[in-house]
Amino acid sequence: MNIRRAAAGASIAALLPFAGTALAQSAPQTTQSTPANAEPDLRQEIEEQKQRLLILERKLEIQQEAATAAAATAPRVTATASRFQIGSTDGSNFIRFRGTLFADNRAYGGDSAPETADTFLLRSVRPTFEGTFGGIYDFRFTPDFGSGRSIIVDAYAAARFNPGAVVTVGKFKPSVGLERLASEPDLRFMERGLPTLLVPNRDLGVQLSGDFAGGAFSYQVGYFNGVTDGQSSDNLATPDVESDTGGDYAARVFFQPFINSENFNLRGLGFGIGSTWQDLEGAATNPYLPSYRSQGQLNVFSYRANTAIGTTPNNATFSNGERLRLAPQLYYYRGSFGFLGEYTQVKQDVSRTVAATTFSDTLTNSAWQGQFSWFITGEEEAYKGFTPGSTWQPGKPGTGAWELVARIQELDVDDGAFTGGANSFANPLTAISKESAYGVGVNWYPWNTVKLSFNYDVTSFEGGAATGDRADEQAYFTRFAINY
Amino acid sequence: MEQTNWKRRLLIALTTSVFIGGTAQLAQAAEVTLLNVSYDPTRELYTDFNKAFAEYWKKKTGDTVKINQSHGGSGRQARSVIDGLAADVVTLALAADVDAIATNGKLLPVNWEERLPDHSAPYTSTIVFLVRKGNPKNIKDWGDLVRPGIGVITPNPKTSGGARWNYLAAWAWARKQPGGNDATAREFVKALYKNVPVLDTGARGSTTTFAQRGIGDVAISWENEAWLATKELGPDKFEIVIPSVSILAEPSVAVVDKVVLRRGTRAVAEEYLKYLYTPEGQEIAARNYYRPRNPQVAAKHAELFPKLELATIKDFGGWAKAQKEHFGDGGVFEQITAQ
Repeated sequence: MNIRRAAAGASIAALLPFAGTALAQSAPQTTQSTPANAEPDLRQEIEEQKQRLLILERKLEIQQEAATAAAATAPRVTATASRFQIGSTDGSNFIRFRGTLFADNRAYGGDSAPETADTFLLRSVRPTFEGTFGGIYDFRFTPDFGSGRSIIVDAYAAARFNPGAVVTVGKFKPSVGLERLASEPDLRFMERGLPTLLVPNRDLGVQLSGDFAGGAFSYQVGYFNGVTDGQSSDNLATPDVESDTGGDYAARVFFQPFINSENFNLRGLGFGIGSTWQDLEGAATNPYLPSYRSQGQLNVFSYRANTAIGTTPNNATFSNGERLRLAPQLYYYRGSFGFLGEYTQVKQDVSRTVAATTFSDTLTNSAWQGQFSWFITGEEEAYKGFTPGSTWQPGKPGTGAWELVARIQELDVDDGAFTGGANSFANPLTAISKESAYGVGVNWYPWNTVKLSFNYDVTSFEGGAATGDRADEQAYFTRFAINY
Repeated sequence: MEQTNWKRRLLIALTTSVFIGGTAQLAQAAEVTLLNVSYDPTRELYTDFNKAFAEYWKKKTGDTVKINQSHGGSGRQARSVIDGLAADVVTLALAADVDAIATNGKLLPVNWEERLPDHSAPYTSTIVFLVRKGNPKNIKDWGDLVRPGIGVITPNPKTSGGARWNYLAAWAWARKQPGGNDATAREFVKALYKNVPVLDTGARGSTTTFAQRGIGDVAISWENEAWLATKELGPDKFEIVIPSVSILAEPSVAVVDKVVLRRGTRAVAEEYLKYLYTPEGQEIAARNYYRPRNPQVAAKHAELFPKLELATIKDFGGWAKAQKEHFGDGGVFEQITAQ
């Protein structure tokens, strides 16, 4: 404004000498013709010019005020390479569109899997619609159309009263397993590890959670319908509807004691423990018991299903009492290196009735993993989110981000599951009692929303075959992923 | 059974935590706040009034009330409230703008005018001329405003309530001239707007244009705004000219029901507006050059408010008719300024 006023002043100043000259030049003439009128006419002309300039200046000022006022209330549209969002200027209200698309190829080496297991598949096709109202109330809706299904993955509302008290209601991840809680784009391997097979995936319920001391301590406590190990509530007999009598209590505490410190070596350390408890009264017709997969995503363990025929009572193994999960967990990130480790144990009361005799036991299944990651292009490893240091586009400088990953892991099924010969809870000829796996992989992020992965996993088993052990599994997985 | 009890206990605990969270928010908001969305020239009035009301409310209830103010062109302010600006009360330039909030925004009942005395207009004003000291262009009445070369400053009636009063006052004068009717009034108003070089969005903007930017020869102004400009910007710079005919401008006030219901502020919002009618409120209005309704207070400040012939909005068939006919889409104002 001052510049414009100065400009206007300068313009007037520029006119004045002209006017003065004009007056001087016209003076002799006016002396001869109309000396009394010339000077007032010119002064009036100057005044009129001055008014015109002031009017123009004011109009510009009004336009600028109008533009500023309009900008203050206009919705803010953000469309970047990683986000599409419409929101209010103050950011307290917005809706955002996101999505993931994972196109995978699975191939198996040797005799570890039937040829039919080799396949292309859409592992995940998840558009996400989420938002916030009033800076407090959040919602998220994510369906999944991958793997030939149409399900609701997440559908919840949350109220963030303050950082220490957030209430979430709907369908979401109960807070237990560390790798399970990582969002899909943040996973270092294409498929989560064996400990994740023992914790709930998505469930319906209510949760109170919060952070304290800038995230140094966080907690979650919730009550859910309850799901079997590794499953979601959409896998229940009636999807997303509780069909047993008890609910699952879940709780987790997590510490990042140095998250706000200047200590570079320890800032990326986090550890905690998650747990669930449920009194689960299943039945032979509705056992509420899990199956477990290999790292190559093939079924390798199941409890015995019903083999009785005719009027003989159903003899399937079923849950029959408490189920307690414990999941101590840890991660450590320092510079471009990262480590994530977790151990998960589930104690489950089971029963099986064979020829009018009921056998019961408490089985303890467990799994652990340690995974390592390294950005060879120097990006900073983190549990949540990262940005490539460069992008790759044909003909332009930049390589994108390259990451090497490695993992060792194991799943151990309680030996008690196999005792009792034909009366055992699981069939040792078809169900493995242990799987041990190692895997390596490489991830390339040519763009911050695009990821290409290759994983190679070798899994060896104990049991699970008519003679000896189930053959080792060699899985070659590749993925083209869009995470928007 | 035990399982069900556990369920209930957990749900009760979680529900309680929700309420604790909510209560904590309320506890933090121990200071009650109100938002008064008003029109342009009332900044000074409500700065004084809010202070007096806060003291009154503290004395009466022991509670602290903080009143936030929002000012702008009356029509634009009404639009903001309709669009979601959470006004507990509106104190706008004219009833039509509150009507718009009631009918278009459905934020208060359409009979809002009946809820307070004097059809919810606790003070009035009128329209006068502000000219430069010595009145160099010798402007005496409305007829002088259409003389060639006269620069007239008035805001845009599409966004400013005051501008609509200005327009109607000019129309009323023209109709009262010998042989005057709506057709001659229309020609007169059309000629008048040809002399308007800048259309501000609100009355305060027009005052700035005229008084501070030095544009124009006469500003058609709220009486209170003219007094304020004369007093604050220098009695040696401006003079007030009272035209032969003007209009009774009745700024309207109302509680915005849906907002106070949501925020739990109805009691304090209603009391806030009622306080405008008390002798204290009327005195504050008069001190800020608004014509008080209270006869005693009006008599006390009679020298500020000369008597003149005043048309009323009823002469135009009420605000609903006037708004549609003159200021609505395709109305007379758009027609005469488009030509």
